[in-house]
Amino acid sequence: MTDLPTQTPQNGPAADATDLELLRRYEPVVRYTQGEQFYPTDVDRYVKECSLWAHYPDGRDMLLVKQDDMTLEKLVEPRPSVFGTVHYLRFIESLSLTESAEVLANQLRLRALLKNNFHAGIGRLARGGLLPRVADALFTISFLLRGRVPAATAAAAELDYFHMRAKQDKNVYYGRVVRNNQNNWVVLQYWFFYCFNSWRSGFGGVNDHESDWEMITIYLYEDGGQLVPEWAAYASHDFHGDDLRRRWDDKDQLDLVDGHPVVYAGAGSHASYFRQGEYQAEANLDLPSWVHSIHRAWNKFWTQLLDQEPGDPFRIPFVDYARGDGLSIGPGQSHTWAPVVIDETIPWVGQYRGLWGLFARDPISGENAPAGPMYNRDGSPRSSWYDPLGFAGLDKVPPPPDALRLLEKNSKDISARQTALSTLIPDKAGELQSMGARLKSMEDNPHLARQYAALEKKIAASVLEVSGLRREYSENAALLEGITDRLARQKKGIPDDPHAHIRHLAMPVKTTRMRFDRFAETWAAISLSLLLFGIVALVFFAPHYLAAGLAVVTLLFIVTESVLRGAFIQTVSQLTSLLAVIGSVILFFHFWFWILMGSLLAIATFLMFQRLRELT
Amino acid sequence: MQQRKKVWTKKHPIAVTIVAWGIVLLFLIRLYQVIEPLLRMHVIENGLSAPLILGTSLTPLGLVVLTSGSYLVLSLVGIVVLYGFLRLHRWAWVMLMAWTGISLTITLINYFYSRPNYLVMASNIIIAVALSQADVQRIFRIRLDQGEHND
Repeated sequence: MTDLPTQTPQNGPAADATDLELLRRYEPVVRYTQGEQFYPTDVDRYVKECSLWAHYPDGRDMLLVKQDDMTLEKLVEPRPSVFGTVHYLRFIESLSLTESAEVLANQLRLRALLKNNFHAGIGRLARGGLLPRVADALFTISFLLRGRVPAATAAAAELDYFHMRAKQDKNVYYGRVVRNNQNNWVVLQYWFFYCFNSWRSGFGGVNDHESDWEMITIYLYEDGGQLVPEWAAYASHDFHGDDLRRRWDDKDQLDLVDGHPVVYAGAGSHASYFRQGEYQAEANLDLPSWVHSIHRAWNKFWTQLLDQEPGDPFRIPFVDYARGDGLSIGPGQSHTWAPVVIDETIPWVGQYRGLWGLFARDPISGENAPAGPMYNRDGSPRSSWYDPLGFAGLDKVPPPPDALRLLEKNSKDISARQTALSTLIPDKAGELQSMGARLKSMEDNPHLARQYAALEKKIAASVLEVSGLRREYSENAALLEGITDRLARQKKGIPDDPHAHIRHLAMPVKTTRMRFDRFAETWAAISLSLLLFGIVALVFFAPHYLAAGLAVVTLLFIVTESVLRGAFIQTVSQLTSLLAVIGSVILFFHFWFWILMGSLLAIATFLMFQRLRELT
Repeated sequence: MQQRKKVWTKKHPIAVTIVAWGIVLLFLIRLYQVIEPLLRMHVIENGLSAPLILGTSLTPLGLVVLTSGSYLVLSLVGIVVLYGFLRLHRWAWVMLMAWTGISLTITLINYFYSRPNYLVMASNIIIAVALSQADVQRIFRIRLDQGEHND
């Protein structure tokens, strides 16, 4: 392989380079996972394959433009609607039972033909314990109540996209350059549009939805007439602000190929990762707030009082596979980019606020299609568009040349204030002493009582003022020392730790750390069903021992699970502690009077012992 | 006044002592449960003077011998666990915790079937709480400090 991470060429593009030149200079290399079905495509062809619909608050869905008539121009035609109306595109029309069976069969044929198969390897279920699996089962059952994208829709989307690609294999990114009002940063945004997100149906993930918008951002600064890259930020699950960005020279975290950043795209989800591997994503169950309050209180009791490890059974483990072992798109790769420059003036970018795919009526929104690059699903502006610096926590970070200037200005301002304070403090302290001497001379003179009280008040205010000035001087001295040290480091060219800004670092799961084998995986897949079968068997064959049998069977399952996961000791400890808590509650329920009396007697004896000891 | 000499010896936390005494107490109870039925049936004086099994079921003497034998095994296991516990072996902590868990499960099931044994429940709770203490777990290398590894 020739595309190992390399040094960035010394010469950056000129500050007056065109938007397209800039975008092309830093366009990414995106590496997909074997088995990925959808790649970045152009919106024109996608929209032509869609119909446009409106969903009204009374539950009606109305076809506005049918598939054959659909164009980007028609998409942005003004359509006044009542509050609560959702406009959405539909890539795959509703399928009958026969059509569904047909597309599902064709999907299997297509996959066999392409030999583009995905192997999950260590299944996601084996990565979580029994409780997360119970939560996962609830999550799966919740799809019966929530809106969802049907499996046949995913299959039909895969087939339609295959035909679109067969006609013209074009991988598009939509590039945006923001130069103004960005605190001297130049921002390059690369938006990728996919016809479908097949994370759930294709890769055992959280959701499926028609259409998908993903984005990465490069931040440049001007130095000597050239633009220099400093940061790259990739949009990803569960991460926000500072955690999204990596410094351009951070070789541990950012791969570069001839100065182009490498993105490892999640299979089906298309989320962007800096490192290749398998990421453990977690989805929260949407439970009422009182359940979370009880869980928080229990965790506090469990960790602080019983000194046990905290747990969260409501977080379901999902795996985002960003293996990078599939197709690669970008400079020097088997597939290259077809860039399109966009901004707010492009009608489909600025004027279409609807969804880019099926509105599945999912209240949690995971299965509803996303809106375009500029908007959220509810039509409100998307923060990554209107505030690209704040999106990656860069609004507080000046570009390197400005950082030095700003530090020097800070140092100068504080030094000037210190000089002023060194004159002001002795003056004020002198005034205070003078007032103190005057106050002392008023004592023992009853006729001066009124003036004494007024002066006392004035002195109290002056004491506060002098104390405040002295505190400011002391704090400024410490601050100045910090600024001077930092200035010295910056002038010597000593760089900061590239990870210093990251609070939560997204890291792929180390598969070598996991001791799961085929049996553990099989157990993970069938254990919950076996447990339910066991309960049914108990109801039919040993109804008198249902409670006892249930307790024993559950404990056996948990212990088996813990042995397979290499967590036997931790599980036994936690289980015994839990049983001890239940036992304590029972004992308190039956013997609360004696426990209370015993406690009072113990306290009385202790206090008496303490007090008598004081007498000796 | 002479300066006090500092003795750097590793002291057992009080919880370890409580658990050790608990095991000794349980051992004595089990030993009583071994000897008492044998004395009652005059086995120690006369030996096994009657058959233990009649047909496919145990005779009263057979039941006593079996019960006493089971308690004897439990007592011996208790001695082994006590030895391991006092020598601060990791396996002794694991065995004791697992045993306490099983005992608590049986006691709780019995409680819900109207056969409560509050004394056993209370002693198991005390042992479970003692074994869960962070300093006890550290001594037995169940809980490791940062940078420590289990060999």
